[in-house]
Amino acid sequence: MRIRLFYSLVVCLTLVGASAQAVAADDVIAPIHQRFAKANVEETPSFQKHVVPLFGRLGCNGRACHGSFQGQGGFRLSLFGYDFQLDHDALFDKDSPRVDLENPLESLIIAKPIDKDIHEGGMRYEKDSWQYNVIRRWIEAGAEFDKEQVQKLTELKIVPNELLLRETGETVQLKAIAIWADGSQEDVTQLCRFQSNDDQVATIDQNGLLTATNRGDTHLVISYDKAVVPVPVIRPVTDLVGDKYPQVAGRTKVDELVIEKLRKLGVVPSEVCTDAEFLRRVRLDLTGTLPTAKEVEAFLADESSEKRAKKVDELLETPAYTAWWTTKLCDFTGNNAQNLNNTSPIGRNTPSQDWYDWVYRRVEQNVTYDKIVEGIVAGQNMQPDQSYTEYCKMMSDTYRDKDKSYADLPALEYYWSRRDFTNNMEARAIGFAYSFMGLRIQCAQCHKHPFDVWSKDDFHQFKNFFARIQPASQNAPGDYRKEYNKLVEELGVEGKRGNDLRRELPALLKEGKTIPFGAVTTSNRLLRTRAPDEEYPEFDNGKLLGGDVVDVMKVDDPRQVVVDWLRSADNPFFAKAFVNRAWAAYFNAGIVNPPDDLNLANPPSNKALLDYLSKGFIESGFDMKWVHRTIANSDTYQRSWQPNDTNKLDERNFSRAVARRLPAEVAYDAIQQATASNEKAKWLNENIDGRAIAIATAGARTATGNGASFALSVFGKSTRESNCDCDRSSEPSLLQTVFMQNDREVLGLVDANKNTWLDGVARDLKAQQSDDAGTERKIASLESQLTAAEKQLERVEKSKNEQQIAKANARLSQIEKQLDQLNASIAKATAKTDETVDEKINSYIVDAYLRTLSRYPNQNELTRSVAYVHEATDPVEGLGDVLWALINTKEFIVNH
Amino acid sequence: MRIHQTCDGVKRRDFLKVGVLGSAGLTLANYLRLAEAGEIAESARGMSAIFVNLPGGPSHMDTFDLKPNAASEYRGKFNPIDTNVPGIQISEHLPKLAKCMDKFVILRGVSHTLGAHALGQEYVNTGSRPLPSLEYPGYGAVIAKETELKNPTDLPSFVAVPNNPQQRPGFLGVKYAPLNTGATPTVGRTFSVRGISLQGGLTIEQVEKRQSLLSDLDATFRAVESDSQLLDGLDRFSEQAHSIITSKTSRDAFDISKESPAFAEPFGEDPFGASCLLATRLVESGVRFVTLQLGGWDTHQDNWTRLSKGNGRSPGLLPQLDTGLSALLNGLEQKGLLESTAIFVTGEFGRTPKINSRSAEGGRDHYPRCMFMLQAGGSIRGGQALGESDENASMPANEGFTPDDAAASFYHNVGIDHTKEYQTNTGRPIMVVRDGSVIKKMFA
Repeated sequence: MRIRLFYSLVVCLTLVGASAQAVAADDVIAPIHQRFAKANVEETPSFQKHVVPLFGRLGCNGRACHGSFQGQGGFRLSLFGYDFQLDHDALFDKDSPRVDLENPLESLIIAKPIDKDIHEGGMRYEKDSWQYNVIRRWIEAGAEFDKEQVQKLTELKIVPNELLLRETGETVQLKAIAIWADGSQEDVTQLCRFQSNDDQVATIDQNGLLTATNRGDTHLVISYDKAVVPVPVIRPVTDLVGDKYPQVAGRTKVDELVIEKLRKLGVVPSEVCTDAEFLRRVRLDLTGTLPTAKEVEAFLADESSEKRAKKVDELLETPAYTAWWTTKLCDFTGNNAQNLNNTSPIGRNTPSQDWYDWVYRRVEQNVTYDKIVEGIVAGQNMQPDQSYTEYCKMMSDTYRDKDKSYADLPALEYYWSRRDFTNNMEARAIGFAYSFMGLRIQCAQCHKHPFDVWSKDDFHQFKNFFARIQPASQNAPGDYRKEYNKLVEELGVEGKRGNDLRRELPALLKEGKTIPFGAVTTSNRLLRTRAPDEEYPEFDNGKLLGGDVVDVMKVDDPRQVVVDWLRSADNPFFAKAFVNRAWAAYFNAGIVNPPDDLNLANPPSNKALLDYLSKGFIESGFDMKWVHRTIANSDTYQRSWQPNDTNKLDERNFSRAVARRLPAEVAYDAIQQATASNEKAKWLNENIDGRAIAIATAGARTATGNGASFALSVFGKSTRESNCDCDRSSEPSLLQTVFMQNDREVLGLVDANKNTWLDGVARDLKAQQSDDAGTERKIASLESQLTAAEKQLERVEKSKNEQQIAKANARLSQIEKQLDQLNASIAKATAKTDETVDEKINSYIVDAYLRTLSRYPNQNELTRSVAYVHEATDPVEGLGDVLWALINTKEFIVNH
Repeated sequence: MRIHQTCDGVKRRDFLKVGVLGSAGLTLANYLRLAEAGEIAESARGMSAIFVNLPGGPSHMDTFDLKPNAASEYRGKFNPIDTNVPGIQISEHLPKLAKCMDKFVILRGVSHTLGAHALGQEYVNTGSRPLPSLEYPGYGAVIAKETELKNPTDLPSFVAVPNNPQQRPGFLGVKYAPLNTGATPTVGRTFSVRGISLQGGLTIEQVEKRQSLLSDLDATFRAVESDSQLLDGLDRFSEQAHSIITSKTSRDAFDISKESPAFAEPFGEDPFGASCLLATRLVESGVRFVTLQLGGWDTHQDNWTRLSKGNGRSPGLLPQLDTGLSALLNGLEQKGLLESTAIFVTGEFGRTPKINSRSAEGGRDHYPRCMFMLQAGGSIRGGQALGESDENASMPANEGFTPDDAAASFYHNVGIDHTKEYQTNTGRPIMVVRDGSVIKKMFA
């Protein structure tokens, strides 16, 4: 295996920039394995810089070993390190010390890892190795650690910081240099943890030696001390790189940035999709709604050049857009009725519906995203100049007056009432970071975040921002107890609490009385914690993640501090989290994926693209429609799903459309609309009443197993339970397919029942048949007249009365003439009827395609379907089967 | 090329790989490791399981944990009777179960602290104390996941009769949700199952015909299907759904009218008995997990009437349980399935030892601190009453058991290591049962 020099992708300009900071090799302290190679070394290793990272490197503080919360063999280290005090204390545990200052070589942290003393984890290093010398020297020098002396790591510099690979088996040695706050620099390659995000592209060993495997792109992740550094790796998928890359126009900035990445990879994007594909796709993504057959035909017939952009603008003004994106915001913020139980005096599902309505109003008016978040996080409906009683009167009026709605109120107070947030500021911090920053900081609740810079201290200082919030769930905020008591006394329900009280209140409200309401407040009393937190007892300071320290007791309302921090232009999470989630809703993946896991070890597949979108979003003043337009109007969004030779395996660089299963609500509504009569389909398409995308609440715990909720749970509607975008599932499953193929609900929609498409078809064909029946009756009557006339002729011929014979003959020829005429007209009519039925079947099949797959059938499909209907005993049944087959195609249930 | 990292450094992608491709291998490896350690009984191979849910919370003192010598405000009206195992007595209204006591184990003095129906149900249906922020998977979902590659393709692996809103897939995802029959069967009649039975006079021929139309029309993605997990998955599920709908095996499995009258007779006429009969057929056909339900145990009022005779609106609960459950145990044995079927019977809690005065007769209220559970089948040594409650059945007499212990034992009986870890949606490693340990005596 030969070691090659790395290929840097960095162009000259950035190299110049980089070299200004570059460090002369002389200033960098040599790697530790060189310094400690010999037993006679005099240097004293640092606990922070060397000993703890070495524990990490040797695997001592992994979850399966001493990093386990139960410890291992009576010895526990902090998981993934960075809790120096805990680790140092553990080494000096008075009952079972791991360090023996008297006889350093007898120390268990030497005897065990060299397996002299039986070690379940086996030998971790050899006697007299550099690792051995580091630990030994540290103990010999007194095994010291001083909490006050913890140094700040300014930067972990990785060389090279971007890699371009060419062939399988190629290797590159990475080097890691720690730059400390005091300016000192050390080669810490031997003390880092290295990992590859995709072994299919490159593997990396524990010493930082990379080996190229297959084509593609990924990141290496290097961790040391607090730092986590991603290094991009690219191995072009084809030879079409550099000059060989074909001319591909980037119509918008988004397209330019996507193509820039594709050019490095040698991936050529697919063509732009057809108008029919675009309409179906954008309809489903932007409005959660299938286009109607009419809409498809009109769009295809429209010859104006700007029709796609016009369509996007038109859709952004529909109630369906508002409903669908309200649903998404309810997902991210956790609107779950079960979680809001008993938070309103008005009834069980009121809070969840209020939540939906409040968000809906603002999405409808395109209120800026930061304002919406402000109303959720920092809002308060009780105004400063209002007494509690006045507030309750206003709230009572709001619920009593049909023209008023919770959406009229300035704040959505329910967010902090979530049951999982009750008396638990850690859960509040976790939920908040998930909802508004797309971060999963829960790891840092108990240990250093393994994939990000967050330490336990960071987490616990951040959570302090949420310590003073008193949620609206209580019947009366503590500060208004007196007014509350007076109010319930006037209502005659004093002494009643909980459910007993809630049972009385709705009726009293109806009578026109003012009833008590909860109100979110910022209290000066701190949150009652269920168990006092011994490790983090101080509430005073809050520290914004990666930001400033704030005395949370001195500011008016820490919630406002947090919101102002979110919306500041340099906040690294807020805008990114939203644009990334929006992107993920239009593609098969986020630019960071999973979209709610922004962390350093999970870098964006296209950083420039994510930066452009979040910067644009901030500059637009957090205009959500700007994001939708920017994405939906790009060629990148409008690519065909048909792959070419270069991009068929691409699922993270957006070079083609990747099929996605319809989200639960969208699938449910699509089935309803595709099978409905024309009138009902139009109504469903234009309205949201009765639509699944307008259902306020969610949660498996509230699923009833009936009606829409059965289908929605089968298709994986978000449960809004665990602070994860993955509470929504878009996996396929057996039960979904069973549901689509044979469930009574779906079969009922396909069949000729009230308001179904097939019912209209059946009526139409029946009318045709009754015309035919009238003609048949006429023929039968003439034929019997004819027989009678023939008999009459026979009779008169016997009598030989010529006059009578002539009369009978005349009568006979008259009937024959009539019959001939009728037969001729029947023949003509029959020919015409056949033509009409055939035409009708054809047009019904076309209609079925338009209303399900939003396109015209191709010739094969039409021929096969027509033949099927002709073979059927009843054309109505045959057409029903065609509709059934179409909604059961993969093309129907995926967006593509 | 998607990744997902979790707290402990396992990438989501690796995890999925293990989950999808390696499921059999992983389970097998796990299995062999356990087998090597002697922790799996021979009979645990190819296990199925039946969970009988008794929502409402059955009174322990009037069923399987009687205290005939307790003071009258505790004792209750029923008398104990002997069973076919010397020294074990149960309620006089359970005579048929008394005759097959040797087939099951009673756990007495099971104890927890969740006195609300929903929370208690969630607890006993998952084996882990509920958390607001995380939904644990129920037994059925775990078993469906652990056996997914070994199951016949024309049968669902997890069936709920008629449904069990508490047996949810939780963080394992909708893929492992049960097929709900939506109704209970009636003895002697064909049984129509939502999604599976052919509705509205549809014949197999018609289904085959429309399926062939579907397969001709569903051609758009044919060229790219093999490169897409989603499209490939949809395709596979479509085939499986079709084979379930059209297969004789699956229709027969649900059709209890196919059972011989002699075999069906002991199950009685009640919906619960018919459900038990259905469970034996489903297990016999290869369904891995069946959950059954007998509700109405929330006897705050008229406790004894509702347990014994019923109150006009519904028949007595104990006779229904007695007939159904004893027939289930005997029937499984008769079919040679008892050793390969783990059975678990429980409600969400017991009922207050002290009798309330809400009705003339009195009743008992929610009481999680002391309850009973039953387990049978598999490698369980029947004929035991383990654990003990105090003199008024108000507390475990000694250490007692937790729902977690019972769950760990149930999994053990099915051959699943309850300490196995899954990744939650957010990457937290969570054991199948978080706090329990196997009750070894059940298997001794």
